[in-house]
Amino acid sequence: MSLLRADGFPEETVRARAKTGPDGAFPDPGGYGNTLYGYTPAAGQPGDPIDELRLVPPVFVPQRLAKLIDLTREPVYTDVALDTVIGGFPSALPVYLSAFGSTQAASVDLGVAASRQAGRLGIPMVVGENVTPVNGYGRIEEDPQRSLLARISGYAQEVADSRGGVAVQQSTEDADAEVWNLVYSDPNVQPLLESGRLAFELKVGQGAKPGLGGMTVLDAATAGRLADAFTIDPAVGAEHGTRLRSSSPGTFTEEILRQQIRLMRNNYPRARIWVKLPPARDVREAAGVAWSAGADAVTVDGAEGGTGWAPLAFLQHAGLPLGECLRRIGDPPSCLLVSGRMWEGARVAKCLALGATAAGLGRAALLAVDTDPENGLVNLIECLALELRMLTSALGKYHVAALSREDVWAAGGWCAP
Amino acid sequence: MTQTRPAATGHQELPGTPREHLSSPVTRAAAIIQYRMLTAVREYLRGQGFTELLPPVIGPVTDPGARGAKQVDVDYYGHRYKIMTSAILYKQASLALFDKILCIAPNVRLEPLETASTSRHLAEFHQIDVEMANASREEAMALAEGVVGAAVRGAVAGAAEELAWLGRDVNQLSELVSAPFGRRSHADAVADLHSMGHSQNPDAEINWVAEAILSREASRPFFVTDYPKGSRGFYDRESRDRPGVLRNFDLIATEGYGELCSGSERESDYATIIARIRETGENPAKYGWYLQMLREGIPASAGFGIGVERLTRYIAGLDAVWQASVYPKVPGVAAP
Repeated sequence: MSLLRADGFPEETVRARAKTGPDGAFPDPGGYGNTLYGYTPAAGQPGDPIDELRLVPPVFVPQRLAKLIDLTREPVYTDVALDTVIGGFPSALPVYLSAFGSTQAASVDLGVAASRQAGRLGIPMVVGENVTPVNGYGRIEEDPQRSLLARISGYAQEVADSRGGVAVQQSTEDADAEVWNLVYSDPNVQPLLESGRLAFELKVGQGAKPGLGGMTVLDAATAGRLADAFTIDPAVGAEHGTRLRSSSPGTFTEEILRQQIRLMRNNYPRARIWVKLPPARDVREAAGVAWSAGADAVTVDGAEGGTGWAPLAFLQHAGLPLGECLRRIGDPPSCLLVSGRMWEGARVAKCLALGATAAGLGRAALLAVDTDPENGLVNLIECLALELRMLTSALGKYHVAALSREDVWAAGGWCAP
Repeated sequence: MTQTRPAATGHQELPGTPREHLSSPVTRAAAIIQYRMLTAVREYLRGQGFTELLPPVIGPVTDPGARGAKQVDVDYYGHRYKIMTSAILYKQASLALFDKILCIAPNVRLEPLETASTSRHLAEFHQIDVEMANASREEAMALAEGVVGAAVRGAVAGAAEELAWLGRDVNQLSELVSAPFGRRSHADAVADLHSMGHSQNPDAEINWVAEAILSREASRPFFVTDYPKGSRGFYDRESRDRPGVLRNFDLIATEGYGELCSGSERESDYATIIARIRETGENPAKYGWYLQMLREGIPASAGFGIGVERLTRYIAGLDAVWQASVYPKVPGVAAP
C-alpha cells in the first residue's frame, strides 16, 4: 500500500472491500450475535441527489413469477444476471474502469495493475487523455512500462476473448500526438480491433473540473519538455519547484461536436465511438447531439467524479451532481455511462434505474489496486456485484438491465426533465 | 516489442527482396510507363500555364485529413515536425507566388494495417498536386480529366511496348479517356450501394470495399462529388447553399482500381477555417503559420492531388499498387 489518499471518499471502506471482497457487503461478522443493526442516518453524502434516493422493493413481483416458471424453483439473488453491453463491448458486469489520466497518483504501477484486473473481470477499460503526450506510447521509448501500450497490453493479456474492450481518450492537445491514429495502426492493438473491442473516447470535459482541461503537476524539467504542447503556469507550485500543466478545455459548439463524432466514425470505422461529457448545464442537449451523430456511448462524469488534480473552487462549487445530470437527460435513447463516487452496489443500482447502462469506477479502483495490486479491484467489484444481485433480486428483477425508475423513490419526487 | 504482420483479412503477394523487385521486368515496365506518364502530365500542365514547384518534405504541421493514418514525427532541432502526408497547406500558401502551381510531391502516411490487403495503399507514395487561384470545383474537375487523359496518351505514345507486354489493351485504354468522365453525387453513390445491399454510412467517406464495387461497375472513370462534412479535411469548402455538403470530388477509375484523385474548392476564410479545424478535432495552435497566412489573405482556389502510383497501376493494369513503386512500402511491412 502506498501513501495514496482520497480525502472525502469512503477510503477505509473501499480498502477493506479490496481486501475481503464480498464480505464487505455485510457488517463486521464479529458483531453477529451481539449487535443490533439498522438504518444509519449518516450514510451517504448530504445533498447528493443519488444518495438521497432509496431503492424500494415491491410486494408484487411479476418478473419473479416469470423467473420461477423458468427455473421451476423460487429464484434468489444468485439468479440475477449482470452481463450487459457497454458502448458496443460485451461486459461481465454493468461496470467499467474509468480513465485515470496521467495524474501522478495513477501512473505506472497502479494504472497497469488496474488494467490487468479489469481485463480479468471482463469489464471495459478507459485509458485517459494525456497518457501518451506525458508518459509516452511505449513502442520505441526507453521506458514502455509507463506508457499507454503497457496499459493496453496488461489488459489484453488478462481479458477473455469474448469480453470487455478498451476505450482510448483523446483531447484537443492529444490530437497533436495523434493518439487515435497511432493506436488504430498499431500491430499490438490489432487483436482488440479485429474483435471489435477497441473504442475511441472523445473527451469533451470531465466531472471534477467542468469547463477546464486536464491538469497535472510536473517537475520543472518535464514541464519544460511539454511547454510546446500545453499551458505551463509557473506561478503555481513555484515554492515546491513544480509547475502546473493545463490542457485547454477545447472549444465546442453543437456543430463542432457533431462533426468531430462523424469524422471519428469516418476515420476509424472499425472502432467504437464514445463521448465523455462534463456535468454541464446543457448535458441533455450535448448527449443528444452525440447520440444522433452516431456515438456508441455517452459518458457523463458527475461533479462528484475525478481522480486528478483540480482547483478547490471547482471541487466544491462547479458542475451538476450526477443525479441532476441523470434527471435532465431522462430516458436515454442509447448507451449512457456514468461516473462519480462509484464504489458500491446501491449507487450503481440507482444509476441503472435512472437510465444508465453502466457505471465507471475511478478513485475506488485506484484505492483498491493500491491496497492489493493483485486482487484489490477484483475483490472490490465482486463485493459490488453481490450487492447489485441482492438489490436487483429484492426489486423483483433478474437482470440488471430491467432496473427502472419505478425502483427508486425520492423524498421530494423525481421530476421529469 | 512491436511485431509486424499483414492484416488478418485477405492476402496479397508482397514485394520480394530489393534485388528481386528491381530486377523484375514488371517493375521495369511500370517505371517506364510512370516516367512517360509524368513527362506528359508536366508538359500538359505547362501548356495550361502551370509552374512546377519543389514541395517541402517536412514542416511543423501537415494534412490531418487522411483516414486514420498516423503522421511521422521528425525531431527538428527539438521541435516536433511532420513528414508531409500531403502538400495541401503549402499548395494554398504557394498561390501567393503563382496563380497556377504544380508539384510532384512525396507523401508518407502510416496507414491502418488493414490497408495492407487493399492492393491500393502504400505508406510512401507521390501525388501530382495541382492548385489554381480563383478556380471553381468544375474547373478543377475538368483539369483533372485533362491530366489523366494526358497521362494515358503519354504512356500509350511512349511505352506502348511495355503496356502490351503487361497485357494492357492500348486501344481500350485510349478509349477510356476519349469522352468526358461520368459524375454522380456522394448521396447517389450511397443510394446505389444501398440498393446493391452494401452497407455504407451516408455521413462518411465511401469505404474501400464499396469504392471497389462502384469502380468495377463503371465503364468509364467517374467523379463522385459533394461529400458530407465530417468525411474530409477542414480545407474542403462547405457549400454556401447546402450546409453540410462539401464542394469537393474524388475521381474513381474503372475495373475495380478505385480512387485515383481527390480535390475540392478550398476554404480560405480565416474564421471559417478555425471552426472547421475544431470540427475535425484538431488543435488550431499548431497551424500557426498557415492561419497567419489565411488571416492576411490568400486567394480562393481549387485543386486536387492524383496518386502517381495509383494512376500508374491503373494505366499499366497492375495487380497491386506496390508494383508501381521502385521502393515500395506496403503498410505495416518493414522495407527499404
